[in-house]
Amino acid sequence: MGSEQSGAWGMMDGLISFFGSYHAMRAETMLSRSGFVAKLVPGPKELSPNCGVAVRFEYRQRENVLELLAAKKVQIEAVHHYVPRTDGWKK
Amino acid sequence: MIYFDNAATSWPKPDAVRYALNDYFGNAGGNPGRSGHRMSIAAARIVEETREAVAQLFHANDPSRIIFTHNGTNALNIAIYGLSLGAGDHIITTCVEHNSVMRPLRHLESLGVECSTIASTRDGVLDLDHASRLFRSSTKLIVTTHASNVTGTIMPIPDLSTLARKHGVPYLVDSCQTAGSVPIDLNKLDVDMFAFTGHKGLMGPTGTGGLYIRDGLSLAPLIRGGTGSASAMEVQPEFLPDAQESGTPNVAGLAGLHAGVRFLSGLGLEQVAQHERALVSRFIDRAATIPGVSLYGTKDVAQRCGIVSFNVDGATPSEVCLMLDESFSIMARPGLHCAPATHRGMGTFPMGTSRFSFGWFNTADEIDASISAVREIAAWAANKVAPGA
Repeated sequence: MGSEQSGAWGMMDGLISFFGSYHAMRAETMLSRSGFVAKLVPGPKELSPNCGVAVRFEYRQRENVLELLAAKKVQIEAVHHYVPRTDGWKK
Repeated sequence: MIYFDNAATSWPKPDAVRYALNDYFGNAGGNPGRSGHRMSIAAARIVEETREAVAQLFHANDPSRIIFTHNGTNALNIAIYGLSLGAGDHIITTCVEHNSVMRPLRHLESLGVECSTIASTRDGVLDLDHASRLFRSSTKLIVTTHASNVTGTIMPIPDLSTLARKHGVPYLVDSCQTAGSVPIDLNKLDVDMFAFTGHKGLMGPTGTGGLYIRDGLSLAPLIRGGTGSASAMEVQPEFLPDAQESGTPNVAGLAGLHAGVRFLSGLGLEQVAQHERALVSRFIDRAATIPGVSLYGTKDVAQRCGIVSFNVDGATPSEVCLMLDESFSIMARPGLHCAPATHRGMGTFPMGTSRFSFGWFNTADEIDASISAVREIAAWAANKVAPGA
């Protein structure tokens, strides 16, 4: 994952996991439409076995992001922050 | 060729529907929500964009409350069985239902559920006073069609929903004959469940349909299995849409349905409804002048969708529709239309009627051609003179 921390991926140091793909897809659509940086990625299995896809986003935007998702009735499982020094996701 | 069987399935479909299927097979291709690679995500995007488009068309605020099914019958079964009714419970329905509602209800009756039927006039207009007297403390469901698939008569959904609310009973509407051709606003209709098919008015491929489930109402799933979510658990997830969507969905079909819904959104459903009402009005005004032709359904065209039923004295519906096909290239459906009680009420059981069902792509010229055809068939039936002679 280290190489992904450069360029556009570097901004997306947050990850939201979901229980199902409907909510992941809708999260990405709603965030993108509202101007947030968001991208669907395969869900890291070490974080959650629940859904095949997760959403990467800018962690510093998390309050606004979660507020928007709640307003759109998108159900999330958890929010994770990427920690470069350990080269892994903070559980 | 003239296609007047849109109540069975709509034809033609907009070109965009075929292109969407081609695009899915050529470019997306994956299994939605299962794998996380770009082809899987592309397939999931198709499903979720379709869900959002359908939600917008019906004015449903939360797309997750719309689940996709294989057809309208599938959706109705999920709704009817999902309430887990049993001996001593009571259901109210109408005398103009399709067998997709009546057969599950008759099956539940065999398990001890009691069913009552709202009476209607010969034209298929419901008796609301009778409806209000049918509610009991044990009533657990009211289920009605939005419009009769035989006569096209539209049911008074707002009045029925008011009655259902007053008695605290969930209300299920079968919109198989109206979704896509009559404007529907789930924000205002105040129904609890709303079943639709994708391949009729919504102009999608066969094998598509769905069910809207009001927020707060939970239905036991009819089918359980893999959902691509909550994979660590061997019990069915409880959140929508996954709880009700086990197994790989019909992604190709949903891609086509999305194209159909977009086509309709571009037109506006009010325009579609006006077009179909104009065709019905043109047909019944002219057919009423043909000796030997009987018409069924309400005379109030504002209370009808694009369906007409008729009979010709001296000819059976099967004979009429065979002649329409072979001598006039008009596709129509004879018989009982899977709705035997409707025909009993109209006095047309067991022979049934001939049914024309119009769609967006039908024209006034086609109505006029069908009137000439019916006139010839009626003359033949009266005098036994071969049509076209």
